[in-house]
Amino acid sequence: MSTSSCNEFLNQLEAWMEGERPSGAQAHVRDCTSCRGLVGDLDAVRQTARVSLGAEVEPPARLWISLRAQLEQEGLIRHGQVGWTEKLRGWFGGVFDAVPRPALAGAYLVALVAVSFALTGPVKRHINDNRWISGTQDSTGPLSARLDTAMHDSITSYANSDPVVTASLHDNLAIVDNYIALCEKSVREEPENEIARDYLYDAYEQKADLLAQMTERGDDGR
Amino acid sequence: MSTQPSLRSQRHWKTTGLLVPGLLLLSAAPAWADRLEQHFKVAAHPVVTIHNPNGTITVRAWTKSDVMVVAKRATGQVAVDAEQNGNRIDILTRQISDTASPDDLRTDFEISVPEDTELQIHNDSGGVNVSNVLGDMNVDTIAAGVDLEDAAGYLTVKTVSGSFQCVRCAGRLEVTSISGNFRLIDLRSYYVRAQTSEGNILFNGAFLPNATYVLKNYSGVIEVRFSPGDSFDLSATSLKGKVNNEAKLIPSPHHHFLPKFGNALFGALNSGRAKVDVNSFDGTINILKRD
Repeated sequence: MSTSSCNEFLNQLEAWMEGERPSGAQAHVRDCTSCRGLVGDLDAVRQTARVSLGAEVEPPARLWISLRAQLEQEGLIRHGQVGWTEKLRGWFGGVFDAVPRPALAGAYLVALVAVSFALTGPVKRHINDNRWISGTQDSTGPLSARLDTAMHDSITSYANSDPVVTASLHDNLAIVDNYIALCEKSVREEPENEIARDYLYDAYEQKADLLAQMTERGDDGR
Repeated sequence: MSTQPSLRSQRHWKTTGLLVPGLLLLSAAPAWADRLEQHFKVAAHPVVTIHNPNGTITVRAWTKSDVMVVAKRATGQVAVDAEQNGNRIDILTRQISDTASPDDLRTDFEISVPEDTELQIHNDSGGVNVSNVLGDMNVDTIAAGVDLEDAAGYLTVKTVSGSFQCVRCAGRLEVTSISGNFRLIDLRSYYVRAQTSEGNILFNGAFLPNATYVLKNYSGVIEVRFSPGDSFDLSATSLKGKVNNEAKLIPSPHHHFLPKFGNALFGALNSGRAKVDVNSFDGTINILKRD
């Protein structure tokens, strides 16, 4: 699959996610496993957000700024380009307009990890292998920092009274953190190791999901 | 468990809400008791949701077109709400005292449903047991273990540390956990995706033609049991751990080269009709003959 085809498809991604399916784009998604995976991931994120969430909050601008900076850093978009990330922001904004505040942090993180995973998989490989290799480590930094911040917030606000639940959440958070450390070490040592990178993003996703559950349980436990 | 649509109460509480459609609030009873029973008439393919943070939930299929809910509360500091909206029954336990301890809030459920019921179960600690229910199922727990028997449909199970066992399940199964162990016994599923971080995974089921089985963990042991007559195309990779194999695999047309990293095993057993994808970060993968 040529890079130009993928780029053309990415330029049409907003329309695609809004239901416009030109025959050329359909053919590309049918033939390109990477873009098909990306569309599937985005569909899953949207579906999850719609199913599990409900009221009125605008996503914080810093999330989109951070995501955009990350994409620029990785060479996926150029500085100043009004590209599909802006469209993605608008699209996710529509979804997250309906997000209740207690579920917000976790939902954002899960979505962000999913999008990051989707982007680092299909797009980066097509654009520039060398940049992908060097950018793998860089791309995980902001995500990891954001998760650490969310973890601090979740633990601070957590107030569930069931010791079994509390112990389970904390113990498993430690387990996931340990795996993140192991995977980050592997990725640092072998940045081109796709398996380690996939495991790392899986671990990030698990941590985001766990923090979302802590936020939810903490809120329930009050 | 009774198979008759009866209305019973023990101790101090008696309901008069037999088969009443619409809103039925068990918690509205004048006094609490340790056993509450309620029945709901439902049509085909009903949906039952259960939100019970603490306690066991046992769901069994029966042949009646009723949903029977039996709740056993540890104390009166927890309320049980059961509400019918059309063909949907929502069951919820909630704390009504700020000073209650976790043990005070424990509520055990025994629920009988038609076999085509769709279930959505949310249970933090305790346990979930479901048998003979053929509808779609979504189970979400923290520390509670989940045991399914003779289930079918689209099964989605998510735990944090709870174990998962599925015996004679069919349909589509997706299960995720962080430290829970999985045992998938006598499965007849056409799609299985099982992922746990620190847990072990045992797969001892049928390899259906054109089915897909994806088993993944970070550490621990993944064990796949096979018989010589089974037919599957295997991809097994452990990045840092070992892959042990007793299957006489032949080169597969789907795998042309070994990956650069990790210990990998590729090949087909017989004609390779099912797809088996096993991955671990630093755990051990065992592909073993059935005893």
